[in-house]
Amino acid sequence: MAIEQKAGSTFNIPLGPVHVALEEPVYFDLQVEGEIIRGTTLHSGHVHRGMENLAQHRNLIMNQTLTERVCSLCSNSHAFTYAMVVENALGIKVPERAHYLRTLTEEIKRVASHLFTLAIQAHLCGFESLFMHTMEIREIMQDVKESLYGNRMNLAFNCIGGTKFDLDQECFDFLEQSLEKFMPQFREVLDIFETDPLICARIQGTGILPKEEAIRLGVVGPVARGSGLNIDVRKETPYAAYGKVDFDIVTRDGCDLYARTCVRLHEVLESVKIIKQVIRDIPEGETRVHMTHIFPSQAVARSEAPRGEVIYYIRTNSTEIPERLKWRVPSYMNWEALGVMLRNAKVADAALITNTIDPCVSCTER
Amino acid sequence: MSDILWALFHVCVFPGGLFALGFALFLKGLDRRIVARFQRRVGPPLIQPLLDIAKLLTKETLIPRTACKSMFMMAPVIGMTGMAACAAFIPVPGVFDGMYMMGDLLVLFYLLPVPAIAIMLGGSASSSPFGAIGFSREMLIMLSYELPLLMILLTVAMITGKATGIGTADFSLLNIVQYQIHHGQFGLNPLMIPAFIAYLMFLPGTMGVPPFDIAEAETEILEGPMLEYGGPLLALFQIGTAFKTFVVLSLGVIMFFPGCLGDFWLVNLFWFMAKCLILMFFSISLLRAVTGRLRIDQAMMFYFKIPAVLAFISLVLVMIV
Repeated sequence: MAIEQKAGSTFNIPLGPVHVALEEPVYFDLQVEGEIIRGTTLHSGHVHRGMENLAQHRNLIMNQTLTERVCSLCSNSHAFTYAMVVENALGIKVPERAHYLRTLTEEIKRVASHLFTLAIQAHLCGFESLFMHTMEIREIMQDVKESLYGNRMNLAFNCIGGTKFDLDQECFDFLEQSLEKFMPQFREVLDIFETDPLICARIQGTGILPKEEAIRLGVVGPVARGSGLNIDVRKETPYAAYGKVDFDIVTRDGCDLYARTCVRLHEVLESVKIIKQVIRDIPEGETRVHMTHIFPSQAVARSEAPRGEVIYYIRTNSTEIPERLKWRVPSYMNWEALGVMLRNAKVADAALITNTIDPCVSCTER
Repeated sequence: MSDILWALFHVCVFPGGLFALGFALFLKGLDRRIVARFQRRVGPPLIQPLLDIAKLLTKETLIPRTACKSMFMMAPVIGMTGMAACAAFIPVPGVFDGMYMMGDLLVLFYLLPVPAIAIMLGGSASSSPFGAIGFSREMLIMLSYELPLLMILLTVAMITGKATGIGTADFSLLNIVQYQIHHGQFGLNPLMIPAFIAYLMFLPGTMGVPPFDIAEAETEILEGPMLEYGGPLLALFQIGTAFKTFVVLSLGVIMFFPGCLGDFWLVNLFWFMAKCLILMFFSISLLRAVTGRLRIDQAMMFYFKIPAVLAFISLVLVMIV
């Protein structure tokens, strides 16, 4: 009898596919009892574009353009990792200057991406002023991207064998000036996110992902680092110029939304540190070598996108069209963690918790 | 006969009806401008709330197939008329004495929850799960702010009643205003300062602005009870909210700072409006610009811990002294 009553008192709330709290279409079916979420079912597939199949019908150079369009906020990570995987497969040696330039680009994108997520988090907390403030600071990085690369989102900077063009001293000067403008404003926002009592009341102790669960589910990126896992591809297997710059992996043991927020905030500081070192240490020289011939081979490349580890796999035959191109995106690994975080959470926190893994639906469903 | 005409005038033109609506929409436009300035935006034109309502009135009314139709249509009307009636009871110091009733403060106390009840009715009649969640949230937040409100009103009535010698409490708004004009405003009375602070905290809760915009949280439950409303029905809700803004802000002014500037009614009217504006700036605009949203349980705890205690302190002090 009691069980029947309980079953009667739950009802379903749709979160998505179109919802103000989600930037991309995905559908959560939340089974709710009062204000408490008892179960979650995830339905996806709204933005499947058949990209892996497309990649097998285009040549290696055309795929550079395709992979850039997998995701918007981490567009550079995909193009970058794709370039790396082709270079690994065909044994192309990338010039040192290109490594530094790629590192620089990746970190600029990371700052912009993290700030976007944090801004959305403020918006979901109902804190519109902080949302505006954070987006305004992000605009500095968007200006940098537009000035340096000509585009605000899809930078189209990477290519197989290096980078498409070089950045001159004028660009670096502008970047340094922008960082000088950026840092004091960012510290202000960092302080608000870390100490504002209303934000803290919402994000402390909610969306808990215990360390054991994080290991079991194999989560990556800031979600893993917020649960105390010390993983970062940039440190584990340094690629590009990451082996030559000094930075720390930011981890927090809180396992909650607050911990993940702190991880993102402090990663922005680390990124700025990397950008400054790159500007200081960048060597002179060529930025690109050309792909000479294609032979049967296969390779894997890994990189740390703003959301976590991206893995690319390629198998080439003697033709210019790859036989197989496969990639695994961070959001795919982090989805499952939502089940743990949403269990017994409040409906009020559902959108906040979903945002905390920084879901990228378009690259997960591609 | 002329009494009835005057009553109609008070309900439809001043202080209720046109005046209240126009003033409240102006306040809302100003509020949006102020918050926009805090966020380094330009903000919409001052007339925007009026334009919004005008546009909504020209739109089609859509009713969900699963909704309870009569209740769905009635809810905004109940909310709007309840508040429009309220607005007519508001005395404007130095201009209008109110509709002469012994217990108009009590009437206000009973009518004030009407918009919240209308939102609950509309939300539950819309048959949307978001409406159902909004219903329970609106009810919880209402129950939390009604207790401090009751104590604040009681305190004001008691301090007036003691002085005028009617008995223990005087619920006549006119007497409350008259007493303050002759014996100093309650907002400056040390006994009443906790109650005034509690009233400032009550305002954002009843107006549903951050951090207490929980029942209509857009990013959580998509406006909750308002989700299924559109067109003229939504416009009625917005008109009701505008009346409510006028009523709660004016009530704050007449309970704590009803002073006049002179004998000329126009000066007094503008002085009254300026005080409403200042009250709105501190209790709604500023708060909206600098806070995020609380969870419903946190908001309830807040109301039971702080405004209720502050109001209780004032009540006890007034009873003792």
